[in-house]
Amino acid sequence: MMRKQNFKQQVINLTPFMGLLLLFAVFMVLGTIKDINVAYGMKTIVNQSIVVAIIATGAVFIYTLGSFDISLGASAAVSALTGGMAYNATGNLFVAFLVCIGLAVMISLFNSILASVFNLPVFVTTIAMLSVLNALVLVLIRLNGTGDEIAVPSAAVKPLDTIGFKLVVLIVYWCLCAFVFCFTKIGRKQKLLGGNPICAKLTGISDKKMAIIAFAMAGIGVGLGAFVSIVYAPTLTRNTASSVGMDVIIAIVFGGMPVSGGARSKIQSAVIGAFSMTFLSQIMTILNLNSGIGQMVKAAIFLLVVFVATFNQRNKMLPR
Amino acid sequence: MKRERQDKMENKVIVEVTDMTKMFGSTVALSEVSMVVRTGEILGLIGENGSGKSTVTSIIAGMQKANAGKMTYKGKDWEPVSMIDALEHGVGMIVQESGTVAGITVAENIFLGEMSGFKNKAGLIDRKAMNRKTEEILTNIGIDHIKGDMICGSLDFQDRKLIEIAKVMSKNPEVLVVDETTTALSQKGREIIYEIAKKMKNENRAVIFISHDLDEIMNVCDALTVLRDGKIIVTFSKDEFDEDLIKTSMIGRELKGDYYRSDYDGSYSDETVLEIVDGNLGNQLIHFNLSVHKGEILGVGGLSHCGMHTLGKVLFGATKLEQGKVLCEGREIKNEADAMKRKIGYVSKDRDVESLYLNASIKDNISVGGLDAFAVKNFLIFSGREKRYAQKQIEDLSIKCGSMEHYVSTLSGGNKQKVVFGKWIGRGSEILILDCPTRGVDIGVKQAMYQLMYKMKKEGKSIVIISEEMTELIGMVDRLVIMKNGMITGEFQRSSKLNETDIIQSMI
Repeated sequence: MMRKQNFKQQVINLTPFMGLLLLFAVFMVLGTIKDINVAYGMKTIVNQSIVVAIIATGAVFIYTLGSFDISLGASAAVSALTGGMAYNATGNLFVAFLVCIGLAVMISLFNSILASVFNLPVFVTTIAMLSVLNALVLVLIRLNGTGDEIAVPSAAVKPLDTIGFKLVVLIVYWCLCAFVFCFTKIGRKQKLLGGNPICAKLTGISDKKMAIIAFAMAGIGVGLGAFVSIVYAPTLTRNTASSVGMDVIIAIVFGGMPVSGGARSKIQSAVIGAFSMTFLSQIMTILNLNSGIGQMVKAAIFLLVVFVATFNQRNKMLPR
Repeated sequence: MKRERQDKMENKVIVEVTDMTKMFGSTVALSEVSMVVRTGEILGLIGENGSGKSTVTSIIAGMQKANAGKMTYKGKDWEPVSMIDALEHGVGMIVQESGTVAGITVAENIFLGEMSGFKNKAGLIDRKAMNRKTEEILTNIGIDHIKGDMICGSLDFQDRKLIEIAKVMSKNPEVLVVDETTTALSQKGREIIYEIAKKMKNENRAVIFISHDLDEIMNVCDALTVLRDGKIIVTFSKDEFDEDLIKTSMIGRELKGDYYRSDYDGSYSDETVLEIVDGNLGNQLIHFNLSVHKGEILGVGGLSHCGMHTLGKVLFGATKLEQGKVLCEGREIKNEADAMKRKIGYVSKDRDVESLYLNASIKDNISVGGLDAFAVKNFLIFSGREKRYAQKQIEDLSIKCGSMEHYVSTLSGGNKQKVVFGKWIGRGSEILILDCPTRGVDIGVKQAMYQLMYKMKKEGKSIVIISEEMTELIGMVDRLVIMKNGMITGEFQRSSKLNETDIIQSMI
């Protein structure tokens, strides 16, 4: 019986991953039936998922604390634009890379320090930051670009605009995050702090320190995401990364991350969620479902995933 | 042994449970339990942690459903869909842990979901009327220091518990379940519950009273049902109450060895390991000085609002003093991290809120205290080392669990408390501050904890026990300080002559 329970728990834990595999299988079958270039489709899926997957992986640290940051997309946009400006000023892609990372980390840290200083929930400061960053995007484009865009020469980024490079960025960053999340005291403290902040305080865990680390990790992801955005679409406009903020939130939950954070948080949720979402969109496109029906189907699947992911937990909360 | 209670006219069966079975996964919480609750009677339920007391009553009160069996209430089939449904029909329950919403007012808690009853002509909630009604309800059960417009989260554990009692009593239930509620209360709070129970009995209503305090349950109850491993073992009537017999029935064997420590040697080292120097904090601590010595079990007693619970947090660095300082071997303790570095551990009175991560595993809850101890280079966590660390605490403290990976919330109260102990003992704490350490813990676990404390004393470790249980303090401590209004009003050394009367004089 105990083995059966553990098996059930394992199945529930694996549900998001099995969902991803199922979506992959459906995409492959439909693609073959409809005689679509599946290899090209896969390349498109990777390109569409990768920025969200990278940023969402870092954002898992924030979500684990039971908080969330809605300014991540805007932060990525500002970092990408500034990175683009840095390249145009220096002609050095590595400088652009460093500027993307540095600025994104600084914005993230500013968020967390602001929340610490004013003792506010971090998501409150990120709401304010979202407005500031959106305004900054417009200012940067107006002052430094043509008025509508900041363009990095596509020849400069072409050598990096490969699936291999983007996957390497994602894999290296994910491994770093997974290591910190699963094999260090930092990751453990983050999970416990998200699970019960009062108990965490009484176990000597500093919420401010952990928030700063979480935002720093997320900042690195935003910076990497911004750089990959430049590589993928070197003409940067006000729409660059505009939907990333919301996509990150959906991807994390879609990937099986508990919305309340805590000990059951999973670092793999971000990548699973990001790719699942894109597969789902592609399947909708193949089936010629108009965007309205597609959105409704997505919403239904989203609710189903959250329901299944939290089902076992709800059953276990009963008193004895 | 099982006694058939007489079916008097005035003691009709109001609730009957027949062959009730409840499973939690593979764990059998109740196995074909049958029992009756009668009007005009206070029925006690007693048993070790995990014996099924809370399970059977929570099913009666609509909190959860049984897997098999039948219930009747007032002679009709009884299947409440929720606690609200049960309460509306006359079965109310005051649960063991906190059941109030922190961010809203006392009145909003009491009338949660029913505020529409206070709508004025404009369709708005008349808060003044709601507050007035709340205070009327509170006064009716003898509570006059809580106001309707107070924010629940600003009140202490005891007051929040009293609000729950008021909420249930506002519905005038026919059957009231009191599930280990008194362990959270001071004597005054307990008296309120006892009065309610007596009143309900006199009005020919029924009370099911769950407690681990044998003296209390023997005083309050008219009959006593003992559960063990999810089964009814025996039901005693009042004239059959016998402490030893009840204890034996509960644990299924004779309680061997000492319960409290048996010696009256209250000696300890002169070396001061922890002290508070001229501490001031509102009306909770006033020019407060106290030293804890190496190898000492120091008891702190008093009425609930005397400041003793605050003292525990101050000693651990969790609550800052307005003036004065806390020193551990000469070094100031400014926060919890400082305290942990100095090998101080703190067990909170409010276990589920302040001491446990309920959504985390047993392993996580134990190992969080020992991250410094088993992490490689004080940074890396390897699963094997962590599991061995947690397993040692599980074995040393005999924590009953199917797997260390199970959620800690699935454990009984006593085993949860053992997990909290494991968190601090495992990391080699030299000083333990224990605030009501045996609250909601059964007699067998209590004995194990008392013996553990005594063993730690013998090893030269220091323990501060903050407790509202006089017998526990008298039975265990080398030195006892009594607090009143943030000050020490009495100090007693361990002695065979020490009695509750002397101590109470210092409290009131």
